[in-house]
Amino acid sequence: MAIIEVSNVKKSFGNVDVLKNITFTVDKSEVIAVIGPSGSGKSTMLRSLIHLEHVNGGSICVQGDYLVKDGVYANGQGIKQITSKMGMVFQHFNLFPHLTVKENLELAPKYVKKASKEEISQKSRELLEKVGLSAKADVYPARLSGGQKQRVAIARALMMNPDIILFDEPTSALDPELTGEVLQVIKQLAEEHMTMIVVTHEMGFAREVANKIMFIDKGEILESGKPEQLFANPKFDRTRAFINTVL
Amino acid sequence: MSIDYILNITGSMLEGAQMTVLLFLIAIVVAIPLGFVLTLMANSKSKPIAWFASSYIYVMRGTPLLLQLLFICFGLPIIPIIGDYLIMDRFVAACLGFILNYAAYFAEIFRGGLLAIDKGQYEASQVLGLSRWQTTTKVILPQMFRVALPAVSNESITLVKDTALLYAVAVPELLHFAQTAVNRDFTIVPFVIAGVIYLLMTLVLTLLFKWLEKKFKFE
Repeated sequence: MAIIEVSNVKKSFGNVDVLKNITFTVDKSEVIAVIGPSGSGKSTMLRSLIHLEHVNGGSICVQGDYLVKDGVYANGQGIKQITSKMGMVFQHFNLFPHLTVKENLELAPKYVKKASKEEISQKSRELLEKVGLSAKADVYPARLSGGQKQRVAIARALMMNPDIILFDEPTSALDPELTGEVLQVIKQLAEEHMTMIVVTHEMGFAREVANKIMFIDKGEILESGKPEQLFANPKFDRTRAFINTVL
Repeated sequence: MSIDYILNITGSMLEGAQMTVLLFLIAIVVAIPLGFVLTLMANSKSKPIAWFASSYIYVMRGTPLLLQLLFICFGLPIIPIIGDYLIMDRFVAACLGFILNYAAYFAEIFRGGLLAIDKGQYEASQVLGLSRWQTTTKVILPQMFRVALPAVSNESITLVKDTALLYAVAVPELLHFAQTAVNRDFTIVPFVIAGVIYLLMTLVLTLLFKWLEKKFKFE
């Protein structure tokens, strides 16, 4: 069953078309890896889903509710409600530097969900344990490695109980030896059947964890399919060329 | 030159220093929040508000503080018809001048602080569902103040020294007492003592801001 339906989404910056007719669906518990050259529009596509970018046309429907239908957006409250079903993890973590790890996790639940203090603090403890950072609860982000920061960012997203998590190049800002710990956490979420869309350059990870690979080039989804098929037998030369350069 | 003499004039100069400290406190306590409001206004989506704030900042930063003080103390009261209603106590007028002037400088400092905040902070707040107000108060402002702290510290020290401009509008303060003593006793000592008192005041400020910077290091 489709949890996200995207049809004919278009976006342009000035007269540059960044997204042209993007159409795809995401099923519940599916893990989609989005690959493609830089500047192809993959991040813009991902950011459009959670309304960090405003699209110029097309529809985005999340669990039956339209964020945007034929280019017309829902009202403010509707947008808020629809995007609240999704969490997002950024390339540069975007942790709040003036708050400790625990406070980073608890800020949004405290003010947005208005849950009880005990509930929130129990949940943050559980999630920090899940990402292996219980010992860092009272530390400021400045004291963490990149890999640790990204694990905190994932835990922070999970605090809001999202049905879907979007990852925008979650390991691209990390030293190579630190990517493993982050990918491990994402892999664990996949095993727990979290629905995820991951923009990534980690082909090994995409092949291993994703159910579906989407190759985006020049603002279009050139092809998509199961990892084994897409990596072994790409339909287009452009896909083949891209895969050859990154592998 | 006796110890008695030094103690004696130090005593009277410390009395003058009270005025200096009082002006400093009033100016800083009012100018910082006012400066912050100006920053928000300059960033406002409403064009007239933004334009007003920017023009205000331009005028206040673009003219000498001394001119502004003279303008308020001696200029306003001689405006025909309404001038009579604009006569203020000198000290009150001076406070007003300092507040209006320093608010513009603090506004610029805070603007710099806002610019230093990565747009990722706004995006992270948005995807977590924080409202604009929550984002501003819980995420942006604390970081802005942290970034602005060294510049605020610098500006505060400048303010201490600028209080000497009270001399020009004849409000008795530290420098006034020193000058009087120099003229009366024909000795350089009061100037030296005044210098030492200013240094002590700026030392206290320097230490205070060092402490604040350390406290809000977020490490």
